[in-house]
Amino acid sequence: MLVVVAVVAAVVVIATYLTWLAGRLDRLHARTDGARASLDAQLVRRAAAAAAVAEYAARRDLLPKRDARALGTAARAASTAGAGEREPAENDLSRALHTAVAGLPGRDGHLSGPDGHLPGPDGHLPDADDDLRPLLDDLAIAASRIVLARRFYNDAVRDTTAVHERRLVRWLRLAGHAPAGSFFEIDDTPPEALAGFPSAQPR
Amino acid sequence: MRVGLVCPYPWDVPGGVMAHIRDLAEALIELGHDVSVLAPVDDDEQPLPAYVVPAGRTVPVRYNGSVARLVFGPMSARRARRWLREGHFDVLHLHSPEALSLSQMTLLQASGPIVATFHAANPRSRVLSALSPALQPQLEKIQGRIAVSLAARKTVVEHVGGDAIVIPNGVHVAAYAGGTALAGWPGSGGAIGFLGRIDEPRKGIAVLLDAFGRLAPDRPGLRLLVAGPGNVDEVREQVAAGLRDRVVLLGRVSEEDKVRFFQSVDIYVAPNTGGESFGIVLLEAMAARTPVVASDLDAFRSVLDDGRVGRQFPVGDAAALAGVLADLLDDPRQRSALVAAGAELVSAYDWSAVACSVEQVYEAVRLVAAQQPPEPVPLIRPTADG
Repeated sequence: MLVVVAVVAAVVVIATYLTWLAGRLDRLHARTDGARASLDAQLVRRAAAAAAVAEYAARRDLLPKRDARALGTAARAASTAGAGEREPAENDLSRALHTAVAGLPGRDGHLSGPDGHLPGPDGHLPDADDDLRPLLDDLAIAASRIVLARRFYNDAVRDTTAVHERRLVRWLRLAGHAPAGSFFEIDDTPPEALAGFPSAQPR
Repeated sequence: MRVGLVCPYPWDVPGGVMAHIRDLAEALIELGHDVSVLAPVDDDEQPLPAYVVPAGRTVPVRYNGSVARLVFGPMSARRARRWLREGHFDVLHLHSPEALSLSQMTLLQASGPIVATFHAANPRSRVLSALSPALQPQLEKIQGRIAVSLAARKTVVEHVGGDAIVIPNGVHVAAYAGGTALAGWPGSGGAIGFLGRIDEPRKGIAVLLDAFGRLAPDRPGLRLLVAGPGNVDEVREQVAAGLRDRVVLLGRVSEEDKVRFFQSVDIYVAPNTGGESFGIVLLEAMAARTPVVASDLDAFRSVLDDGRVGRQFPVGDAAALAGVLADLLDDPRQRSALVAAGAELVSAYDWSAVACSVEQVYEAVRLVAAQQPPEPVPLIRPTADG
């Protein structure tokens, strides 16, 4: 009798623990999925903003033709890249943005000011013309949000991977077919010349 | 946005983390957010700001020679649960969740968008490291992590796991801009200021006294104003007998007098020889529109932008410090140029700017939560008590 009680108690304890562990994994997968979706949303937003800047710059002749074309191509490539090519494509877009934004004309013919100094924190800066400004604002918002979204996504992947790698989880396939996700590594430093944007904090 | 902040330490005991949360809460309210702070309160008599909700008293726990005041017990847990339920927060922001505290207790019962700020710059104690497997499942609920300095971020990376966004402590720029100088200061002969513990060698008072000894004989009006706790007599003995009446030691000063201290000197000197991780005091001097001279520690170099917003000298080099001070004392134009550069720099560290950065983290985390697939219905529904 005592043995039966002990076995039943053990089964209950083990089942409770496994249920809890599966629930924990579920939560982690949900967090990783949410973080990935929000990272994707910011990347899409950046590509769209970059494409808009490239199109406008080409139309108004604000950039050397080569730079404007390179930016447009990189933006398109980033928004159509398949899973495996996403990181290199986004990296190319970061690079194209650095070159293009630094070359856009501001008040002194240069977004980052004549002496190479960044604009003041009050965001007064380039008299980028009135149509270009909202495009650059949008670009700056997307660029700074990518930094946060990517950090939070990689944190989620790290936490999920740590639980995935547990022996018990692997043996019992508690994670099912859900992958732990893989780290997303790109250079996401926003272009320096965008430091004064957005000109007003979005409310 | 409805924001719920959790303070792990008693609201009525002054401390760095508590002051951070108070300033952040007020800056967020200023930005138009609806803010509630859950905090332990030991003294029921003290009036609390309207945004603070008391979570009960703390229990002193002796550990490793120091006393930590922690919150325990079912009453605090119930209050935390009710605060969460009635708050309907859009984002929950915990502070120092790596320690056993009210933050952990709240995290245990929370779900949804959660942000945490890590303050500790030193590795966790051994007891807490031993508990870490038990805390880990809770820490996994945090979608966005903030560290207050590079040192605090290092602690997160090495001891908690994962990474954190660095958002530094803020400065109340406007509070430092006001204040009147102490009577008779700075005077016409020039006044130099020092702020910090005078019995802590790494604060570098000896270097400054040495430099003052080199300058004073040629500058009969030059005076030194020293503010900070420690044995005043010991410091006075280090000063040459003929100069003692030109070195004024204030001892420990209040927050208000700290502002007045900065207004009372022509130049603020930070001669530290080590142990500084950030150097917020340099920013406070800039906010008070006082020119800064500092040793060339890495932390100071990065705040001063490699000498652009404050003059620097090699660590421990009293002769070089004397040279820099003489140069600045004789050149009011250079001093006002430094003041202008400092005022521009410090505005980026004003609490209003810091709160905007924190707000962006809130937005990012809300987006993560909004994109999360809905939670499956639990097999056993939690009872709705409390």
